[in-house]
Formats: sequence, structure tokens, C-alpha cells
Amino acid sequence: MRALIVEDHPVLAAQLKAAVADAGFVADCASGGEEALFLGETEAYDVVILDLGLPEVDGLSILTRWRATGRAMPVLILTARDGWSDKVAGLNAGADDYLTKPFNLPELIARLRALVRRAHGHAQPVITLGAVGIDTTTQQVTLAGAPVRLTALEYRLLAYLALRSGAVVSKTELTEHLYAQDFDRDSNTLEVIIARLRKKLGEGRIETLRGQGYRLSR
Amino acid sequence: MRRATSSLALRLALATGLWVALSLGVAGWFVIDSVVRQVSGAFDARLITHLDGLTAMLAADDQGHVVLTRTPTAPEFDRPLSGSYWQLSQAGVVGAASRSLWDQTLPSDPLPADTGLRWRTLSGPREEGLRMVERLVLLPGASAPVQIAVAVSRAALLDDIHHLRAGLSLVLVALGIGVVAGVAVTVIVGLAPLRQVQRALAAVRAGRQDQLGLAAPSEIAPLVAELDAVIAANRATVERARSHVGTLAHALKTPLAVLRNALADTPPDVAQAEQQTAIIDRLVQHHLARARVVALAAPVGTSLVSPRAIAEEVATALRRLFAARGVEITVSGQERCRLRMDAQDLTEVLGNLMENACQWAQQKVVVTVVSQTTHVVITITDDGPGLAPEERRAATHRGVRLDDGVAGAGLGLAIAIDITELYGGAVELLANPAGGLSVRLTIPMR
Repeated sequence: MRALIVEDHPVLAAQLKAAVADAGFVADCASGGEEALFLGETEAYDVVILDLGLPEVDGLSILTRWRATGRAMPVLILTARDGWSDKVAGLNAGADDYLTKPFNLPELIARLRALVRRAHGHAQPVITLGAVGIDTTTQQVTLAGAPVRLTALEYRLLAYLALRSGAVVSKTELTEHLYAQDFDRDSNTLEVIIARLRKKLGEGRIETLRGQGYRLSR
Repeated sequence: MRRATSSLALRLALATGLWVALSLGVAGWFVIDSVVRQVSGAFDARLITHLDGLTAMLAADDQGHVVLTRTPTAPEFDRPLSGSYWQLSQAGVVGAASRSLWDQTLPSDPLPADTGLRWRTLSGPREEGLRMVERLVLLPGASAPVQIAVAVSRAALLDDIHHLRAGLSLVLVALGIGVVAGVAVTVIVGLAPLRQVQRALAAVRAGRQDQLGLAAPSEIAPLVAELDAVIAANRATVERARSHVGTLAHALKTPLAVLRNALADTPPDVAQAEQQTAIIDRLVQHHLARARVVALAAPVGTSLVSPRAIAEEVATALRRLFAARGVEITVSGQERCRLRMDAQDLTEVLGNLMENACQWAQQKVVVTVVSQTTHVVITITDDGPGLAPEERRAATHRGVRLDDGVAGAGLGLAIAIDITELYGGAVELLANPAGGLSVRLTIPMR
């Protein structure tokens, strides 16, 4: 899962990045409106945390621009203003959820996960695919009820495939959603991780469609 | 430097001065002109009287010579060089003349035969300005027509006219200065109450007094009353703000104390600290929401808003938030219904109440807007678990517990009640007959 954090306060941005990383997301940070606008328009994010009070371009304008250019990723707005006029303005500009400062990080993470799941049409926090159960809240994976130990990268890849279960996910899409913007992307690593997942969960769950990508059946 | 024309007294004095000078000038000219005409007319009439008198005294003797039957008795004709003279002449040859002429003569160039009177102004024996009138008289039995001339010095007349002109000018100038000064004094005296108001206002600003407290003239009394009202409203707002800040500060002290103790524990009581942080957050939220309300002395003069339109906006936002839960929000009611209320305030009220309803609802939230004769009634109904009668009473009771640490409970309702009551409205919690809670807002239209 890739998240974009748009926050100009450096300490809060760092806290958010750490918390989001703990929750199994890969995060990019933007501290200014222009940078945020550019990243949101060019990179594939699964969720965006958008602070409304930004230098250069304000958060609402960024959101309006994204929605106008067809960027549909879920956006959670952060604002110090807790008046309903601001909430209504934000939600009606295309935000999917809002949180007012101060907030606690566990609630933020819970809402981010819910947003990502909802965007892929999963209402429940636990995604069950045959014998495999993926709890997106605790990041626990079970196989026929027994817990399976996965590395962070393995979990991210599995969770993404699970969210998109039934669909063919290309290597490019996977790379885009698993690594941060500045990460040196190597598609060979993907194959290694897929191989390890197959070993842990059993062959046949993750299909390889030659030249197209991977598919996790429902 | 202040421009001279920025003084009201000076402007009025200048304008009045200009006008008064113009009108007094015209009046003076008119008066002097008509008096001069009249005096000159009377002077000429006297000359004619003398001329007629002389004419009546003329007679022709047997030889056809013209003689005077008597001598004019007026003494000024006897005193030498008195300035009043008469003279008779025939064909340019001077005959009899007044004693006053002494050895001098008046010009005696003959008059053309058909002339009536001839008026001339000339220099007399003593170089005085003379006015002379001549007439040609044909006496029965006389050999030739006789030319009678009467001349009188104009010195006295000119003197009179000069005195009149000087005196009148003096009076008119004095009158003009008096009028202008009067206007200036009137303005200064008339504006004195305004300066009094200004001094009183300065005293209020300096904190020496609370109110203007002036017995102003009836034209300024409303201004003074309004200023006093503004000062009072200002003071009330400051007072409310002060007590509001005080309340917040005191309210924060308890959770801060608990928080400090929780952190001082070894190991720190993280759960307690989190709970206290949540309480502090809620207090700040509540007081922030109240801050707007506190700042408004009286929410008058706000624009008209459509409750239906605002409810729709809030519903659109909430539909996004509660998309996953599948709560269906319906807004119905009169589109044209209007309220005199700040749009942000109404958004705040409806946002809090409708969000509460969505949180508790199973499937449906229904918002209806109905305008009655004097009030607008907005009802927000959900199909959730509802509240027991005593819970409903407790929830609307002022000073709902904010420090119970339960997220979302009561705070939104408290804010909604605060704002609604500020507009003179009321919030009631009712049981929904079909289960669930119904919140009824009644807000006067005003």
C-alpha cells in the first residue's frame, strides 16, 4: 500500500510517516502544495493524508484539482478547524474522510485502512480468500486458521493482491503500490517475494499470467 | 497641517461672508442711487422755483425795456458771492443781476429760440461747482426776448451725498461683519455638544468613565444613546470573552493536573494520560465552537439562509462519511423557507445533529424542514436505538458532562443547543414512534 502524506509541519509529518509505515504502508511525504499536487497527479497512491492548511496551494484547492483531473484515490483530510462548515467544504470537494487536529494515530490508521478497503470494495477488515485469512487491522495472515509469519514486504504484496483479488495485477502496478517514490525498483525482487509467498501459502493461490501479471483468486 | 476649509465654522463663515457681501453691496448701491436721484431732483426743483419767481417779476416798460417789478427777497441772492445767483440778459448782453454776483457775470451765450430749459454745470465766480438753469422769456411789449439764468452752488448737495454714501457704507460693512460673526458664533456654540461628546468618548477610551452619560440636545441625543449602546455591547462582549477564557482555563486545570500525575507515575500511566489528553481535546473543541458564539453580541443583521439547502449540503458530506455503513439520508421540506441566521452557525448545528443521527442510525436518517408562521422547525430523525425519557432529559440539560471521556457523546449536541439558543431557538429530543430518536429544532424567523 502506498500512502502520500501532505503535511507541512516536519515533526507531525515524521510521526505520521512512522505510524503509517508501522501499519504496513509505504509513505511519501510532501511538505508543500506544489509538490503534493505533482505527486498526487503522477504517482499511484492507495490513500492520501492531506493537511488543509498548507503553504503555496491550500489543501482544498489541491483536492479540487486532483478530482477535476480524475484522480480518484481515497483522501483523508486533516484540519485544525473543527467547524462543520470546513468539514462540509472538504467532504464536498471530494474528500472521503476527515480528522481534526489533535487526533490520535491509531484512529488515523484505522480510518486509512477502512478507506483503502472501501476503495476496493471490502467492507470488512478481514479479507478471506479460501483458506487464507488476511486481517488488515492487525496485519495477521492465517492459513487454515494457523498464523503465517510474513515479512513486511511479503505482507504488503499479499494484502495488495488480496484487495484486488480476482483481478490481474501487473508487475508495474505492484511496484508502484509497494515501493516509495525514491526506492530503487527492481522487478526481479517481486518474483523472489512471490516465490516465497507461494512457499508459505501453498502453490496455486497466486497465479502468474505470462506477460500480464499476477492474480490472487477469490 | 489641517486645511482651512476642513473647519465647519470657517466654511460657513466664508460662504455667509460671500453671500452677505454680495447682497449688502447691491442693497447699498440701490439705496444710494435712489437717494442721490431724489436729492438731485429736489435741488433742481428749487432752481426752477427761483426761475419761475424771477419770471413772474419781469415786465416791459414803455420803451420796450425789460425791468423787474420787484427784487427777489431771498437773502442768499444779496450776500456777495454766496453761491446763489441770478442774471438777466438780452441777446447775449447782461442786464440786471443779483447782488451776490458782485462784479462777476454768468455765461450769457444766447439760447436758441425754441429751447425750453437749458441745464448746465459750470464753474462759478469762486471756482465753486454751479448748477445753472436758463430760460428764454418773450414779454408782451418787450423789444427782444429776455434770457433768465439761475445758478446755485452744488457744494452742499455733493457734501450731503458724500456723507450719505460714507455713512451708509459704514453701516452696511458693520452689518455684514456682524452677520458673519454671528454665523461663526452660532456654529461654534451649536457644535459645542459634539465637542462634549468627543471629550466624553475620549474619557471612556481612557477608562475614566464607563458611559458618555451626557444630557445632549435632542438632535444629538440619539447619537449619544447609540454610542452608549455600542460601548455597552463592546464591554459585554469583552466580559463574555474574559469569562469564557477563564472557564476554559479552569476547565483545563483538572485534566492537566491528572495528566501530570499520570506522567509522574513510574511507569507512567499511559492509559490515564491518553484519557486526559482526550478530555483536554474535547474541552478545547467545545470552547472553540463556543468562541464564535461568544463573539457575537447579538446575531442581528445576518443574511437569510435556506435551511433546506444547508441540510442538503451537510447530507452530501455525511453520505461520503457514512458510505460504508450504507446510511440513507433524506432531506425534505420547503425549498423557499428562509432563516435569518449565519450560514456557518446553521451548518454547525445541522452538522452536529445529523452526524449524531447517522452514527446511531441503522439505515435511515430523515431531515425535514417545515416553516410555520413565526418559526422554522427542523426535525432530524434516525432509526437507531433511541434514548430513554430520562436520558433525553439529561442530554439536553445545560452543562452536560464534557469530561466523561466518551468520544462523541454529548459534545455535538451541547454545541448545537448553545448556538440554537443564541438565536432564540430551542432543541428538543423526542421519541420517534417508529423507534429511534427525533431531534426537533425550533428557530424563530425574526
